[in-house]
Amino acid sequence: MTKKIFNAILSVATAVLLASLMIVTGVLYQYFSNVQEKQLKDELSLAVSATEELGKDYLEGLDFERYRLTWVDHNGTVIFDSHADIAAMENHKDREEIKEALISGKGSSVRQSSTLTEQTIYESARLKDGSVLRISVSRASALVLVLGMIQPIAVVMLAAMLLSVWLAYRMAKRVVEPLNNLNLENPLENKVYDELSPLLFRIHVQHMEIENQIQNLKHKQEEFDQIADNLKEALVLLDHDRRILSINPAAKALFGAGDSCVGKDFLTIDRKLQMRTALEQAQKNGHADFRENKNGKEYQFELSRIDSDEKDHGLVILGFDITEKVNAETNRREFTANVSHELKTPLQSIIGSAELMENGLVKEEDKPRFVEHIRKEASRLADMVEDIIHLSQLDEGVEMPMEDVSLKGLSTEVCENLTEVAKLKNVSLEVSGDDGCIRGVRRLLYEVIYNLCDNAIKYNRVGGSVHVSIEQKDQGVVLQVKDTGIGIPAEYQDKVFERFFRVDKSHSKQSGGTGLGLSIVKHAVQYHQGILTLESEENKGTTISITLKCGDNC
Amino acid sequence: MRNRFDVQLYELNREIIEMGAMCEEAISTASTALLSGNVELASKVRANSHLIDQMERDIESRCMKLLLHQQPVARDLRQISAALKMITDMERIGDQAEDIAEIVIFLNGHTMEGMEQIGEMARETIAMVTASVDAFVKKDVEMAQNVLIQDDIVDDYFAKMKDGIISMIAKNPEDGEFALDLLMIAKYFERIGDHATNIAEWVIYSVTGAHKEA
Repeated sequence: MTKKIFNAILSVATAVLLASLMIVTGVLYQYFSNVQEKQLKDELSLAVSATEELGKDYLEGLDFERYRLTWVDHNGTVIFDSHADIAAMENHKDREEIKEALISGKGSSVRQSSTLTEQTIYESARLKDGSVLRISVSRASALVLVLGMIQPIAVVMLAAMLLSVWLAYRMAKRVVEPLNNLNLENPLENKVYDELSPLLFRIHVQHMEIENQIQNLKHKQEEFDQIADNLKEALVLLDHDRRILSINPAAKALFGAGDSCVGKDFLTIDRKLQMRTALEQAQKNGHADFRENKNGKEYQFELSRIDSDEKDHGLVILGFDITEKVNAETNRREFTANVSHELKTPLQSIIGSAELMENGLVKEEDKPRFVEHIRKEASRLADMVEDIIHLSQLDEGVEMPMEDVSLKGLSTEVCENLTEVAKLKNVSLEVSGDDGCIRGVRRLLYEVIYNLCDNAIKYNRVGGSVHVSIEQKDQGVVLQVKDTGIGIPAEYQDKVFERFFRVDKSHSKQSGGTGLGLSIVKHAVQYHQGILTLESEENKGTTISITLKCGDNC
Repeated sequence: MRNRFDVQLYELNREIIEMGAMCEEAISTASTALLSGNVELASKVRANSHLIDQMERDIESRCMKLLLHQQPVARDLRQISAALKMITDMERIGDQAEDIAEIVIFLNGHTMEGMEQIGEMARETIAMVTASVDAFVKKDVEMAQNVLIQDDIVDDYFAKMKDGIISMIAKNPEDGEFALDLLMIAKYFERIGDHATNIAEWVIYSVTGAHKEA
């Protein structure tokens, strides 16, 4: 800026200086030339009249400091010269001014010296006797004059330069100062130069755009962080060099990594072979997945390469906790295997009996026993299928009609239905306690109480007792079925609610049942959001308690 | 220039972690094979051991190149020289895992009493190797120092194993060959523990610049 202003000022100053110099020199030179010429003419006419009167004596008496006088006769021979020896001088007849004077009476001419530094002006006049008198003067040419002025001009130029530097500096400073003090945060508030308004407005608009974009980015980042932080799944983002870009809290917990792991290689938090292989595979093929047991839980890891514009930008690693899924899968597999096995047992027995009869291997008197056997096995099969249907209904969570049910009434009903069975085993059945009204599905609750009481009778000792008690408590209604039976060994107490589980597998046929009763109880209680507890001591008896929420109207 | 050097150091670091992980896998696979008498697993360890050797040579040549071209000083120099020493120990761990696997193949599924104790010893040794690699990964001096303490436990196990094997031979002289194999395995585990200790010492050196006084 300063330099530009300096250049501008200096060039203007130089141009003005040179122009004025040229004009002034030209005008003055012209003026002084005219004056000199006039003087010369006056001098000559004076000399002419004097010479005409006094002759050569006059000329010799003159003082020739300023002029040179030459007297030439009509032949051109020099008669007198104030500065040179006449004998050495050649004939002047051909000189322009002499020629002119001889013809017209007056003549003049200007001649440059050979070096162009001097100019000689000649004026001549014819005397009465025909001779010619010439006066001449030398003066410096305009160029010499100008050259002679170079020193002062240089001084002036130097002064102009110094002045320009100072001025340029001052001006630049004064112009720039308000620009430097511009408030660029709020460009529209500046009132400096009108010329800057469009620029300031542009800046303002760009400011707004940048602000918006930053806000957007921030918002997006926050959104992402929020989602990632609350994600139950482990999420890790890696760059193309496998350095960790982002890791969410779930992933930190899963890999046991601290906050400092961001920016480091992923190998620093998991260097297992499976993970390494998967990373390589994902980088090569775009995707990889594997399952791994970590911290006692089963995890499914999904790795995907992030591609955009056909460039590899990194990897995403997602870790899902699939423990429940795996457990469910195992359960389903076991259940299917169990169902097939349990269904097959009575069927085999039916097929066997029927085959024997078909081939006539059964004596006539034994036939009723075989038929009865077939009927019994078939009805066991039917019971089992019914139980499985119940269970699958409960599994699928089918909506069932809810109503107010009196647990005591229901228990009494169950006991009435089981009296015969109890009598066979010589077990006493007893119901006592509060009414215990709750809101629930009557059929399911009946099933629960029936199964519990049935088990209590079935696994009782001869002459034992079953006591059903209902108690209204603050937290709900507690139904308790207490027997004096064989009890459940401690190691099996967790398992009795599993499907098809039998404590004593060898006696299953003897005691009948499907192995699904307690499983149905468990699911039915879960359906009512109740709590199921089991206390049992081997050879002393079992107590199963169910706590259910009270109904609204009871 | 510096930037390029940093990238190379970073890669070196990554390769050492990878090699450490490979050693961990080799020894844990070998011990699983030993405890379950799984000959197939054992042959896998043998097949993989050359990968560890290859890795050692790769890292070694990388270190040499870095030393020659970059002429590192101070901490960088310590890091590279520690790496050179560390990979030697890691390679030895790989070799010993292979030796154990060879014995497993030789035993061909034969198991016997005294196995439980060697199982415990193996667990402890694997934990040591894992801890030493972890200490390197995290550049954690405290963790490395714990490894040094752990070594005494493994040494104790070896002494106990030795006593057990002596009484075993006294009781059943016909099992002498098996007992000697067991002793060899115990010795290998003890040596692996020593190598893990060395690694931990090099970690301490590369971080602090000071060697543990002998």
